[in-house]
Amino acid sequence: MSESTKPIFPGVSLDPVQRLRALAAGVRGAAVTERVIDASAETVWAILSDLEDGFGTVQPDMRHVHITRRDGENIEAIARSAYGMRARLRGTIRPGWCWPQSRFLIIGVAVTPEGAGAQCRVAMTGGIRIPGHAALIPIGVRREARKSLDRLATIAI
Amino acid sequence: MADDDGVRERAIALAGAAKRGDTVAMNRLLDALAPYVGTISASIALDHGADAAQEAMIVIFRSLRGLRDPHALFGWVRQITVREALPIARREARQLPDELEDIPARGDPQLSTDVGDVMAHLSPEHRAILLLRDLEGFTEEQAAHLLQVPRGTAKSRLNRARGSFRKEWES
Repeated sequence: MSESTKPIFPGVSLDPVQRLRALAAGVRGAAVTERVIDASAETVWAILSDLEDGFGTVQPDMRHVHITRRDGENIEAIARSAYGMRARLRGTIRPGWCWPQSRFLIIGVAVTPEGAGAQCRVAMTGGIRIPGHAALIPIGVRREARKSLDRLATIAI
Repeated sequence: MADDDGVRERAIALAGAAKRGDTVAMNRLLDALAPYVGTISASIALDHGADAAQEAMIVIFRSLRGLRDPHALFGWVRQITVREALPIARREARQLPDELEDIPARGDPQLSTDVGDVMAHLSPEHRAILLLRDLEGFTEEQAAHLLQVPRGTAKSRLNRARGSFRKEWES
């Protein structure tokens, strides 16, 4: 039997929000919260991808983020929460996609253009991780994401 | 081929790490599987290929912990993708395939475009059986198992699909 992984026909690719829905399905306790925002994907992404500044305005619990290493789309960062906890994050950041993780934290953010492009769809997931597992402590995950998306909508438009 | 083997081995290693709860590996695994899932999904579900690919990926990541042997990754992924793409193709198409006479005459584009054009005018079931038997190299029994139909049905379906494909291809 052939085990070829090479495409034979032109295929389709998942947009960042579709990717997030798929990955979140593999994280127990995760919820994906989505919002259509009246701003372009570029505008919104400029805020979210600015991890050391803009991201903190959307997610105030993340008081300080410092990127310690960047290699193409792979990053490592130290994040401090408003409660003093420290997280060593590593993961991927590319246009429309941010998936940094630590032993105690999972963060996932995706942005994709919606309709003609004047709007965009933003999806978030994440929360406190059960250490070493693809699983979250399922407390307040939707509430926190809704708050973040409310703030983002206010900042972006 | 070496490249192909490299992609496969890397994906298998990532699947092992992802199964153990490594969420960074999950992200990389999705990158590695996306072209394969996207190709199968588009071949069967056509314009709804992205929906089919998303549904397949959701099932793949939700079920990843149940994958016993990471070396069986691509067969397992293929099985899930076909099973997710077929109902979407049926639901969205809900129509008989175009009459073969209605298919626009072939121009002179790349071979894959010609093949894709012809495939697009077959029913989802015919596309699926051609994909599995003639392109992916499954045996009749394996294809029947994947499509959840009796072996005789898979055989007769393949004959009809090949006949339709050949007729248009040679027109």
